[in-house]
Amino acid sequence: MKHFLWIVVLSIFSLAHSQNCTYTFIGEIVDFHDGTPMSGATVFNENNSSYTAADINGKFSIKNLCNGKLVLVISHIGCETKRIIVDIVGDSYKKIVMEHHAEELEEVAVTSKGITKTTVTAQESVIKSETLAQYSSLSLGDALKEVSGVSSINTGSTIVKPIINGLHSSRVLILNNGVRLQDQEWGIEHAPNIDINSANQISVIKGSGTLAYGGDAIGGVVVIKPTRSIRKDTLYGRTILGAQTNGRGYNITSTLNKNYKSGWFAQAQASFRKNGDFKAPEYYLTNTGSDSKGFSTRFGKHTFQSGFNVYYSYLNNEIGILGASHIGSIFDLRRAINSGEPSLVEAFSYDINPPKQDVTHHLAKLGYYKRFQNFGKVSLQYDYQNNRRLEFDVRIGDRRNIPAVDLELQTHTVLVDLNLDSNLKRKWNFGMMGRYQDNFANPDTGVRRLIPDYNKYDFGIYTTTEWKLQDNLVVDAGLRYDFNRIDAKKFYRKSRWEERGYDAEFSNLIIDETPTQFLTNPVFNYHNVSASIGSKFFLNDKSYVIGNYALASRPPNASELFSDGLHHSAARFELGDIRFNKEVSNRISGSFVHDTPRFNLEAEVFYNTINDFMYIRPVDDILTNRGPFPIWEYQQTDAELYGFNLSTAYNFTSSWQWQNKTAFVKGYDRVESLPLINMPPFNTFNQITYSNEAWNQFSVSLKSEWFFEQNEWPNFNYVVQNQLTDEELEIKISNPPPAYHLLHFYSEATFSFSEKTSLNVALGINNLLDTSYRNYLNQLRFFADDLGRNITLQLRFNY
Amino acid sequence: MKIKYLNSNLMKSTKCLLAALFCLTLVTSCDNDDDTPAPVLEEEIITNVTLTFVNDANASDVVVMSNVAPDGQDGASTSQVTGAFTTGATYSLSLSLVNAEDPNAPEDVLNEDIIQEADEHFFAYAVSGINLTMTRDANDVAGPDGSKLGVNTTWVAGTASTGDVQIRLIHEPTTVDDSNEFGSVSGGSEDINITFEDVEIQ
Repeated sequence: MKHFLWIVVLSIFSLAHSQNCTYTFIGEIVDFHDGTPMSGATVFNENNSSYTAADINGKFSIKNLCNGKLVLVISHIGCETKRIIVDIVGDSYKKIVMEHHAEELEEVAVTSKGITKTTVTAQESVIKSETLAQYSSLSLGDALKEVSGVSSINTGSTIVKPIINGLHSSRVLILNNGVRLQDQEWGIEHAPNIDINSANQISVIKGSGTLAYGGDAIGGVVVIKPTRSIRKDTLYGRTILGAQTNGRGYNITSTLNKNYKSGWFAQAQASFRKNGDFKAPEYYLTNTGSDSKGFSTRFGKHTFQSGFNVYYSYLNNEIGILGASHIGSIFDLRRAINSGEPSLVEAFSYDINPPKQDVTHHLAKLGYYKRFQNFGKVSLQYDYQNNRRLEFDVRIGDRRNIPAVDLELQTHTVLVDLNLDSNLKRKWNFGMMGRYQDNFANPDTGVRRLIPDYNKYDFGIYTTTEWKLQDNLVVDAGLRYDFNRIDAKKFYRKSRWEERGYDAEFSNLIIDETPTQFLTNPVFNYHNVSASIGSKFFLNDKSYVIGNYALASRPPNASELFSDGLHHSAARFELGDIRFNKEVSNRISGSFVHDTPRFNLEAEVFYNTINDFMYIRPVDDILTNRGPFPIWEYQQTDAELYGFNLSTAYNFTSSWQWQNKTAFVKGYDRVESLPLINMPPFNTFNQITYSNEAWNQFSVSLKSEWFFEQNEWPNFNYVVQNQLTDEELEIKISNPPPAYHLLHFYSEATFSFSEKTSLNVALGINNLLDTSYRNYLNQLRFFADDLGRNITLQLRFNY
Repeated sequence: MKIKYLNSNLMKSTKCLLAALFCLTLVTSCDNDDDTPAPVLEEEIITNVTLTFVNDANASDVVVMSNVAPDGQDGASTSQVTGAFTTGATYSLSLSLVNAEDPNAPEDVLNEDIIQEADEHFFAYAVSGINLTMTRDANDVAGPDGSKLGVNTTWVAGTASTGDVQIRLIHEPTTVDDSNEFGSVSGGSEDINITFEDVEIQ
């Protein structure tokens, strides 16, 4: 009723004055994020097509107005043009807020090449969308090797984990679309559950410089970003079809994006990939087929002031593991090492038999943000992940189809982040994280649990700040505290419990017992402090230097604490230790970057010292009814790693380019004065490319990959006795394979059909010379050679 | 005025979203039952391997070689030999492979698993320093590729000597050869590899 009355009153009022065009409108244009007046803004009056400009106080006036609607279009350099409708009722005043720093406030530095970085003073490298497209049929770990200093630790050729400057697994944090991946990343044979086709851009950050994501990234952080939504009415997509000769593989992936000017966006992506047995130059690698299905979708609304997004992704990988790698005893392992070729070689097949893995990962995320005037941005995020891991071993009878490992890991995370950026020269960021994780090990496997049931609780709080001290000097710093609690229920064999000496220290953990086993309830708390400080100094407009110090702290993972038993594929007993405390890393790094159109150089050095570094080494052996086995025990020591990474590109002419990537890392156990195991050997890549824009963006390149022999390795070889002959047999599990050199060919051209549709055709030949080689960082190097020649064809449609 | 109203509206929706998130977390967290996990008794392990040699002419002349691994492949094992072979005598070997991790329900691995899948298994024997010979019996269970599995065997003790006797069980061997009776294989993986030491022929 009240409203109605008002409307009536207003109508009468406006009617009475409708012919009176003498009013003045005064506008005041201010910057959204810090309230400063925006002088010089252009104001276009659509009603009479006239222009005016804001004065030094951001004010302007338009005279001789009638009551009614006034349409103004306001523009200012660096701002998104704004169209507003003002209701003129007599003399009017309105404050108009413009988004002046939209670009700077995206929390990323946009460089001239369209690359967006996540950090300011960390050693960060970005892999662009076009480069990622070349890896459509491969895995995340393969694509990351584009970055100098990143290699991979493999189990065969489909289980590929990134190693950043010599560190991997729990020491490398992977973020998918802002969500920290929780997928049982502790094991070497557990590849990250990422569909490379869902990524638009990937950042690799060496060291733990980015505290907002976690304080335990001793090795580094991999940030996977989806396509950024653009505020335009547009629909576009991409489809990639690929085929590979080696493994007779084929893959397809499609992405469709819909954006609206209003800020709404939606994206859907699906991919499928299949391959059969791969082939080394001399034989088929039986049972190395794989099958991968992925799907992801996002939608939401992003505007400058607020937005939300919903994301869901699904990935299922079924991966066959080289049949010849299944061993029963140490003598089998010795025979494999000595024979130099796999014990099981069959004709090509797409079949995937045990041993194999079947891993399914679901990720769902809800995000919301809101920007407040003169203040900053508040973001909220909730995510849920479900990781189901099935490992099928070679078993007999009905158990053939029952997995030997059946784990379900569920993780819920809530994040709150406050970004105070009203002063662009002094940005502050505060945040909190709460996480709950539940691991369930299915007892129906009929095999004792490798990883026990546990609940894990994490709480983190952090602050980071970025100060622009001068135009050419930026300093940033961060501080973070994390609390972790792991609450496990684990069965120990009584014999093991006593042998580990737990009976004296931990008898209070026992909550139940069976004739042969104790049920224990270990509850451990860890407090972790991490910090970083860095600076970036521009020497001139072409070069800058970066210096960074980071303190990181990582609590032991479930595998390091609780492993106990035979690890089949490695033919060894692995024992964790519940006495472990966290490991603490101090890393200093420096970079020099020089970038001109002709010459680009990025040089990085680092030194990382890690106290209480957790690693596994042989300590003893045990005589079982399968013969003698070595016992490997997780231990803590003090370690140090140092090295350099170089990346250079030189354009001889506009068509000819030479690129080099070189990485060198050394790692030592300082207590035992031993080299660390699984350190990538020195490697250098050279690539020469010819490209010609005029010929449908044709390019052809030849790449040389040279891996040296790892000359510093810990000798963990052991000797077992053949009881029958009393012969002493050395098992050479430590010796690295010799150096190798590979050549790869790649050529592509893009045919444009219209402004928005194009077809890119790419032909590649990997391992051009069909070289036989073995890689020190492949866990299956004892059993078979790596992949031989592979001819790949890829069609990429953009529309 | 209008802006303020808009803001408070957004604040409200922010609060709602926060509340919703926390509710969701609570709900999903609560589906975790704090139940005590069930113990897993290994299904596939072999805890007791026993070779019983009985003299065909004298049923009281018995040699028993036994190996006990309470934790199966997951722990240490101990071997024991009782009795001694008699020079010139012929023995029949009876094999027993049992999973006795649950003492109340021991599982006969030999008859229930291995013989059921005889085409994927093969027993190989070996001796060292002791004058024992063996033959695979005519009624032995058929093994892979026309071989004899090695479950029913006959052993002959030669001159007095002391040495070792080895038994191996190979799963999914690539090739098997029993032409020399003891048996040899390539490929596959060893499920059992036990050597009994200081076996005597008197």
